[in-house]
Amino acid sequence: MNSRIIYQNDEGGISIIVPADCGLTIEEIAAKDVPQGKAYHIVDVSEIPTDRTFRGAWTWQ
Amino acid sequence: MGDSMSTIINATTTNGVVIQPDNSGSLVLQTNSGTTALTIDTSQRAAFVAGTAALPAITTTGDTNTGIFFSAADTIDFAEGGTACGQFDSSANFKFNSGYGSVATAYGCRAWVNFNGIGTVAIRGSGNVSSITDVGVGIYTVNFTNAMPDTNYSTCYGANSYNDTNINIVIAIRGSSTINWGGVNVKTTSAIQIACSNTGNTNSLVDVFDLNVAIFR
Repeated sequence: MNSRIIYQNDEGGISIIVPADCGLTIEEIAAKDVPQGKAYHIVDVSEIPTDRTFRGAWTWQ
Repeated sequence: MGDSMSTIINATTTNGVVIQPDNSGSLVLQTNSGTTALTIDTSQRAAFVAGTAALPAITTTGDTNTGIFFSAADTIDFAEGGTACGQFDSSANFKFNSGYGSVATAYGCRAWVNFNGIGTVAIRGSGNVSSITDVGVGIYTVNFTNAMPDTNYSTCYGANSYNDTNINIVIAIRGSSTINWGGVNVKTTSAIQIACSNTGNTNSLVDVFDLNVAIFR
């Protein structure tokens, strides 16, 4: 699955959900694994930086 | 019909041989001593004798000490070569002898995952895991597809290397360590959050190349 789910976490950063091959759709995984009440976005994995040097400073616009 | 040693029933039509009770009772097959060997009741269920490990109730021609038997109420047993090798007991525990030396309860892995925590974070393989959450450097949440019955499960983890350098890595349930990894402690029936630290660099959080988590309950 080349999709990722991103949301703003309670620690001020961005959490990125990496789906497993579990038989659920990306929407079903989002409904289950994104904390309740959090807005989220489904993006392509290519939109996620691979350089994690400043991982803690990532934001979503 | 048959010869002096046995009685043979031949089918006289292409429908084969049909044996049918002449009333509403069960069909019972007995041995020559009158012992019931098989009963087919009016609900079409076949009931066998209980059997033993040496003489399983359900077996196969030419290997009659291998098969299924029933050692007690609500219990299903399996035998190989006349020796018990497996059992579902009356509490639904699955027991088998897989080098244990005896038939013992098998406690299965309830969830597992192997993933790459650097670069493009990705799952290599998993079971009963719906996703992992990359929370930040060295912090990952493993989300279960099917929840655990409670939070008393055991978590095992191991890591292989970090940026291909030889450093010591400590992995722990986040918030349960004396090392300052934040005041968050996520261990629920549906997820567990772990943190990875480099013990060679003031215990700072680090991403891990090859992270393995297994849950037992």
